[in-house]
Amino acid sequence: MWWKILSVVLVLYALSIGLLIPLKPGVVRVSPETATTGQALTLQVFGYNSYFSKSEPGQIRVWLEYDSSRATAAQTIKVLNDTTLEASFQLPPYLPKGEKSTLLTAIVDHPTDGVSLLPNALKLIQDTAFLKSGASVSSMVSDSAWTLQPIDNLHVIKDFSFPYRNVIYESIRNTYYHVPMWFVLMFLFIASVWYSIRYLGKPDPDFDRKAAGYAETGLLFGFLGLFTGMVWANYAWGKPWSNDIKQLMTAVALLIYLAYFILRRSFDEPEKGARLAAVYNIFAFASLIPLLYIVPRMFASLHPGATGNPAFGSEDLDNTMRAVFYPSILGWTLLGFWIASLRIRYQRLHDRSHGLD
Amino acid sequence: MAWPANQAGSKDKAIPVKFIPSAYLPATLPYLCRNLFMNWRHFIILLQKEFLLEFRQRYAISGIVLYVFSMIFVVYIASAKADISPKIWNVLFWLVVLFASINAVVKSFVQESGARQLYYYQLAEPVMLLLSKIVYNTLLLLVLSSLSFVTYSVVAGNPVKDAGLFWLTLLLGSLGFSIAFTFISSIAAKANNSATLMAILSFPVILPILLTLTNLSKFALGLMPPLATYDRDIINLLAIDGILVTLTFVLFPFIWKD
Repeated sequence: MWWKILSVVLVLYALSIGLLIPLKPGVVRVSPETATTGQALTLQVFGYNSYFSKSEPGQIRVWLEYDSSRATAAQTIKVLNDTTLEASFQLPPYLPKGEKSTLLTAIVDHPTDGVSLLPNALKLIQDTAFLKSGASVSSMVSDSAWTLQPIDNLHVIKDFSFPYRNVIYESIRNTYYHVPMWFVLMFLFIASVWYSIRYLGKPDPDFDRKAAGYAETGLLFGFLGLFTGMVWANYAWGKPWSNDIKQLMTAVALLIYLAYFILRRSFDEPEKGARLAAVYNIFAFASLIPLLYIVPRMFASLHPGATGNPAFGSEDLDNTMRAVFYPSILGWTLLGFWIASLRIRYQRLHDRSHGLD
Repeated sequence: MAWPANQAGSKDKAIPVKFIPSAYLPATLPYLCRNLFMNWRHFIILLQKEFLLEFRQRYAISGIVLYVFSMIFVVYIASAKADISPKIWNVLFWLVVLFASINAVVKSFVQESGARQLYYYQLAEPVMLLLSKIVYNTLLLLVLSSLSFVTYSVVAGNPVKDAGLFWLTLLLGSLGFSIAFTFISSIAAKANNSATLMAILSFPVILPILLTLTNLSKFALGLMPPLATYDRDIINLLAIDGILVTLTFVLFPFIWKD
């Protein structure tokens, strides 16, 4: 009983906290997106969840970063509103290593929101007019223009908020609902296989009911995971189905279990159907391992942590997200087992009333 | 020597067998090896029986060969006789092999009547029976896929650059298809709608093997970037085959006893 209450509490916690906590401030985009060296640039910076006007104008600092030791800082900054500011730069005449063009990272820092950055914000092109007047680029490159204004004294704000990520923005919250579905699916399928193995050892109809009930609930969570993933993909990748290798393999995994249910029902004697279904369930589960853990490593994927990692790396979660993510997994798992136990009890009563038990 | 499952499953004798998975599953492989060592004559006889049966029912194998030929021509003509690029060649070739294999293997359990299966059940170890069928089907599929390759090359051209690797892929493919399809056909043969069941049960299971095979044959066709290596694919394929073959030997006795 206690675990049923716990599952409800945890799922409600994941739903409410996961949806209510705000995102950290971030930089959505800058305008213009290209510039040439030596230019006097007025850069508009668009923030997300930011409060530019809460800080003194002198406290806001903006940089365009080349690498960890080279950057150029804005000379004057004008705050237009909470989410827009204008930063004026005098760009150095040459790029640090004499390239034709490079991508710079925009960094905004002020006491209210802390530091936020946008990678590859601005494309800086070497102005060829400077090159014609002199000798080769490398001799004229001077590092001092890029190292005079170092990035330092950044403000780090510690509060309970989710990380800001470009491209996915608010949909980062789907981590608490999409990813746990796969954990629950795996746990339920393991339970299903466990009871199939037990059924082969001792043909008790109760083991068969349990194997089928866990597989059915696992399938339900598989579809939920697929749909939450498609909603997310529609937002982050532009379309709900992009034939990503993990989408394909998941669809195939669900087909395997649908075939399992067809097999169960295609025998006249229930005992024979149960035994062969148990055999197929074990076989299918074993072929699920290469589908979900070996094949996706062989192909490029749009999912995070695509190369060599079946899910995502530890760097994709921060501590605030962990505080919601792990309870969410536990809550949904308990809920999944609850649903499965109801399904099994229903089936047991159904079988008894039909004299099949 | 008794297979432990034979007692565990029989209802009428009602011998209580306590089920201890931890003691049961690891014992399987040594059991298999011992079984193979002691009963290799059974295996030879059963394999001979498969060949004899095929020879007596020559129309069946001729039918499959004709199926392969027709399918290759249909595939070629349906692609509007266009110049088939190596990429498309690869896909179409493996589709032909896949469908030919599934049709060749599906009969391995269906063709023999229930009475005759009862006769085998009394004489032979189930594991030996399955092993003989898998070995026989591997050879059959190897012949069929070589035949498809030769015919397909005549019709649609032969873009294979690394012949050795391609033949290795064919061999590994026949082995993988044979293991998975033989096992699934033993399940499907028990049901009434065995042809449909055979397809829906085996296609999802065969997919990891098929993906690895097409990947490997892309190497043989020179479609991969020059620095990519195929050792990983071969290891993956052998690993999948290993998982499947172990499972089929563990699970087959449960299907077989009826």
